[in-house]
Amino acid sequence: MTAARISPRDAGAWLLRLGLGGLLAVAGLLKLRDPSGFAAEIANYQLLPALAAYPAAILPATELVLGLSLMAAPAPWRRAATVGVAILFVLFTIAVGSAYARGINIACGCFGGGGAAIGPLTLLRNLALLLGIAALWTLDASRRRPPSVAPAQPS
Amino acid sequence: MNHDPELDPASNARAAQLDGLPSRLAVLLAAGAALGLLVNLVHPRAVRFATFAPPRVCSAGAEQAGAPAPPAVELLSLAQVASLCGDPRAMVADARSAERFAEGHVAGAIHLPCASSRLAATAALDRLAGKETLVVYGDSTEEAMPVAEELRRRGDRPGLRVAVLAGGFPAWSQAGLACSSGPCADCGPHR
Repeated sequence: MTAARISPRDAGAWLLRLGLGGLLAVAGLLKLRDPSGFAAEIANYQLLPALAAYPAAILPATELVLGLSLMAAPAPWRRAATVGVAILFVLFTIAVGSAYARGINIACGCFGGGGAAIGPLTLLRNLALLLGIAALWTLDASRRRPPSVAPAQPS
Repeated sequence: MNHDPELDPASNARAAQLDGLPSRLAVLLAAGAALGLLVNLVHPRAVRFATFAPPRVCSAGAEQAGAPAPPAVELLSLAQVASLCGDPRAMVADARSAERFAEGHVAGAIHLPCASSRLAATAALDRLAGKETLVVYGDSTEEAMPVAEELRRRGDRPGLRVAVLAGGFPAWSQAGLACSSGPCADCGPHR
């Protein structure tokens, strides 16, 4: 019996998918428990607060779908999910950075209700997540890339 | 350097990676949005699009609202709040930052800096059991008002009287009323 060898690159990509996808799915599930409260959390960022109800209804399930897709979908769908997660993380980072820069003292709301107030650590965490998703995209891309110089096939 | 995609395997691979990606991404986002709207339809704590009113935030004040709406909570004068001090049925909450709270606060007040923190609000509501009056203050009347409104909304206790100290802590302090200082003992991670 021969065990399939898993390269460090594959293992890294797998761990990143599991970690980032799991984190996003859990965050989505936690927010799904209280859409009304999540709407208030979003409104507190003071970025179009009157429209906060819409992302509050849509965002948690979108996080759940993207997180699950990142972990368990076929490769083409995983790539799409990777891009979707990157977009979400960029939006989250902009929102947190903007609120922090304006000196607004609010809870992050990143995992549903409450939590610590936003600050440099929240921003660092978001940037680390962005780095993680960029690393995942790079690892996945390099796995699919064929050798740059294909050996000539003998006729 | 070869730029012909037909002859460059790396370019072909990149093109293959992106092939269909936008449409798959759109499908995933649409699925998430549809699922979210469905869940919201049946959720007991659903957000209502037509009636959603954002809580007024701690730092912006009431001027955002345009024409000032009538206050949803009661305004109490210094003397009225002072008369509640020591009353076991009343609780006073400080809506300012932890630093400002540590510099000085109304004696016996709990720290409740912002309406947005549901942990803090929930903890405060737990402590409201058996209380009949909650007085919130900030550095101004406007700062405390959204916190008081949020607590009143979340408290869901018809008999609970939620009020704001008119003039906030500066007025209280200038009047020489009872103050104490020191860091908030049970603020947790909230600042």
